[in-house]
Amino acid sequence: MSFTGLGTLQVLGVLGGFGAGVVVLYLLKLRRRQVLVPFVPLWEAVLAEKQSTRLFAQLKRWLSLLIALAVVAALATALGDPRPDAALRDGRTLVVLLDASASMQATDGAEPDEAPRSRLDAAKARARLMVRELGPDDRMLVAQLDARATPLGPLSGEAKVLRDAIDAVRPVDVAADLRAGLRLALDVLRDQPGPELVLLSDGRLAAGLDLGELGQDAADAEAAPTEETEEDEAPPLLASDRLAGALRDRGVRLSWERLGREGDNVALGAFAVRRYPLDKSQSEVLVELINASDAPAEVELELLGDGQSVEVQALTLEGGARLRRFFRNVAGIDARLEARLRRTDGGGDVLPADDRAYAMLPPRRRARVLVVEPGLYLQAALLLDEYLEVTEVTQASYDPADEGSHDVVIYDGWVPLRPPAIPALYLYPTSDDPERGPFVVTGSVDAPYFDRLERQHPLLRFTALRDVNVAEALTVELRDGDRVLARDERGPPLLVAGRRNGQPYAAFLFDPDASDLPLRGAWPLLLLNAVDLFAQEGAGFVSSFRTGESWALPVPPSAAQVLVAGPGGERRVPVSEGRAVVAGERAGFHTIRAAAGADAGPTLTVAANLGASPESDVAPAPSLTVGELRAEAPSAGSDDVRQEPWAWRVLFALVVLAAEWLTYHRRVTV
Amino acid sequence: MLGSRRPRALGAAAPEDDGDLFDDDFQRKLDVLALVSRRVASGRTRAERRSKKTGSGIEFADHREYAPGDDFRTLDWNVYQRTGRLLVRLFEEEEDLSVYVLLDQSRSMGVRMATARGTPGTSKLRYGKQLAAGLAYVALAGLDRVSVLSFSSQMEERLAPTRGKNRIFRVFDFLRPLRADGQTGLRDALRTFAAQNKRRGLAILISDLYDPAGFEEGIDQLRFAKFEPFVLHLVDPAEAEPRLHGDVRLVDTETGEARDLTVTPRLLQRYRAAHAAYRKRIADYCGEKHVPYHALPIDVPFDDAILGVLRRGGLVR
Repeated sequence: MSFTGLGTLQVLGVLGGFGAGVVVLYLLKLRRRQVLVPFVPLWEAVLAEKQSTRLFAQLKRWLSLLIALAVVAALATALGDPRPDAALRDGRTLVVLLDASASMQATDGAEPDEAPRSRLDAAKARARLMVRELGPDDRMLVAQLDARATPLGPLSGEAKVLRDAIDAVRPVDVAADLRAGLRLALDVLRDQPGPELVLLSDGRLAAGLDLGELGQDAADAEAAPTEETEEDEAPPLLASDRLAGALRDRGVRLSWERLGREGDNVALGAFAVRRYPLDKSQSEVLVELINASDAPAEVELELLGDGQSVEVQALTLEGGARLRRFFRNVAGIDARLEARLRRTDGGGDVLPADDRAYAMLPPRRRARVLVVEPGLYLQAALLLDEYLEVTEVTQASYDPADEGSHDVVIYDGWVPLRPPAIPALYLYPTSDDPERGPFVVTGSVDAPYFDRLERQHPLLRFTALRDVNVAEALTVELRDGDRVLARDERGPPLLVAGRRNGQPYAAFLFDPDASDLPLRGAWPLLLLNAVDLFAQEGAGFVSSFRTGESWALPVPPSAAQVLVAGPGGERRVPVSEGRAVVAGERAGFHTIRAAAGADAGPTLTVAANLGASPESDVAPAPSLTVGELRAEAPSAGSDDVRQEPWAWRVLFALVVLAAEWLTYHRRVTV
Repeated sequence: MLGSRRPRALGAAAPEDDGDLFDDDFQRKLDVLALVSRRVASGRTRAERRSKKTGSGIEFADHREYAPGDDFRTLDWNVYQRTGRLLVRLFEEEEDLSVYVLLDQSRSMGVRMATARGTPGTSKLRYGKQLAAGLAYVALAGLDRVSVLSFSSQMEERLAPTRGKNRIFRVFDFLRPLRADGQTGLRDALRTFAAQNKRRGLAILISDLYDPAGFEEGIDQLRFAKFEPFVLHLVDPAEAEPRLHGDVRLVDTETGEARDLTVTPRLLQRYRAAHAAYRKRIADYCGEKHVPYHALPIDVPFDDAILGVLRRGGLVR
């Protein structure tokens, strides 16, 4: 213990001076108040009995003197600001990254003998302990690590500031990006004494250890030109090695507190829903279930449409298995669909965050289709979908101004002078002018086949085109961005999609009437897929978003700001070019509406699901290395270095004075 | 001591302003008292009291209002013819009752203890004056011979025996200038009283009985001289429950004797016990000697106190 305020001699001087004063005051006889009483002999009897307790009274006086001297001693030593010797060491600069990713919501953060808590709660508790152990010259910065690294307070040694920052950490449903955290730490710890980066995490990090980008950043920030020359000439270093070098060069100690234990987890890995093209009252649902543990698991999967249960199924998941299930002809869903997974065998499921998945179905509104010069086959196919509102015009009566009141336009064997301002489907786009239309027609090819197909494209959904016979197909010059969905193996494309005039289009480069396609089931499906795809894309519909990504949401054009309300609360998001760009952090349903004062317009609801399926593998990483730099355990603090002994002394003096005052006025000590 | 010390209200012997001692309100209370006391006396001890009420005397003394039960032969019909009021004629009896009101005026009677609000309270002497006046008026209204005397360690002032309730103003004039002074000496004072007053009668002793030599011999002086002693013990509740604490010097208001002590709750508790024991000692002694005794707290209005004394008996026969 050393005095950091007044010196030892000064403390002793104060103690001696005030102590002597107190003693003198006690030795001085107090002047007694005179009280006239009518009959002193009545008191005589009492006084005679009082004599027997006189010794005790004297003792009380001495005790009172000792207490007064103790108060003086406490205050005098408090002036000296005593500190433990351990508190006088050099200060540290700590950047504490609290991993707030989805896997940190796993409920295995507690030790076996503790009450259950999440890994994030365990990280917060560990961070608070580190705050208590901070020395007087230590400083700390607390940051939340998720897809970004967000400092939650200043670099400070104040316990309250740091505790407030720790309390501000909120879990999000994204993967943690260690690169962002390391960038922040390197910036904060530049030229700071005793730099140390402390990562409180389970080690399930999105970037893994491929830290090439960070290594380049660090090199840009640190390396001298001569070093760059050397690097150019030397064999390329691994990015993680360069990062390790940057940490080492700056003397940053890399620490990692491993949180979480091995635990069982079942999860929803994928979730998708779509309406049937010909019966939009029913949907098809795809669910992927993951069992991240080695043991088999009995689970119950429940689907809820608009909050009502529409499907419940009991399933068995083998250890480490991924199981895909389709639910066909699911009816009764208007907009919202939610999947819930629950273990029924009593086994563990440490991460509830991945037991739910969400999706939105497109609104069932009539798509307005403008058809120019339709043939009989086209007319017949469009009649199959009751949700189409078809307007037929001839080439002569076609007016581009009509496009504004339609969602899709279909040109059958004809092309307009200019590409339309709405999505378009071209069937055999030919004209007298080969350069008119979406392509420059260069020729034709006989008897092409659908040899190569982009089966994953939504336009080809539910179709079988392999054996379609086509008499002739156009050969065209494609532009950049055009995507061939079906082609003959000789090269000529048969189905093409892309954008013209900023709007999507699809083109059949053959005459359907000169093929047997209209006789097949694929014909109406191709048409209706195209109409659905264009109509939904035009409305900006997305079935579900992924957390950890930026969501571009369509909003009313006049809105300058929108309010996005979701599981994480409500926040304001600015609008740019008719889109609100939201950083997706929480899974669930989110509603978007214009902020007050603006044109409210309709409320938009979107669904979001956990972005990174590796998060479902909740087992903590066994170790953490950056290049050759291996993370160590955080440097130990000491419980007592943070204490303020002077404050305790002052508190002691106040308590003693309060007790003495109370007992005196209660006539206990007089 | 580190605790704060606020100045405390002390016991005081400062003289009181007796200008309003016997004001109109006081006199109205006396009238009510006289009326009520007569009803009490007539209701309880009719035909037992030695007074003019039997109408056996020959010398007219006074009138009073007719009360149910009075002898019709004593009605003054002349007055009735003139005024229409029914008045009863009262006559002196040949051997009337002498009432001596003995008021202690020692310095202990003048002490004014601090009240709960810290202000000096009423002194026992002031209360004793009102009590003496009230009792004297009751006796005068009953046509008794009333004499009022004050004493300390000796007999101090004396109002010669008188009768008739219109003499009450002489009683007021006698009592008003009395000031607390001197030490209490019951034995010597009452011995002197007994020697100076050969006509025996009722001796009402109004005192706090704070006599260092003991109260017993004073009372015995009255008993041995064939007086009928009646002890009214004035008790100041503030004396029984003194509001004292801390280091104080107690000064006896009569002797000037001082005692240093530290007042604690336990000490106060013992003092209260000692005070109660002292009062019990007095009561026990009076009971043993068949001397009527009443302890009168001075925070009780004097007229209520007199009525209480009358109702409990002993004073009015």
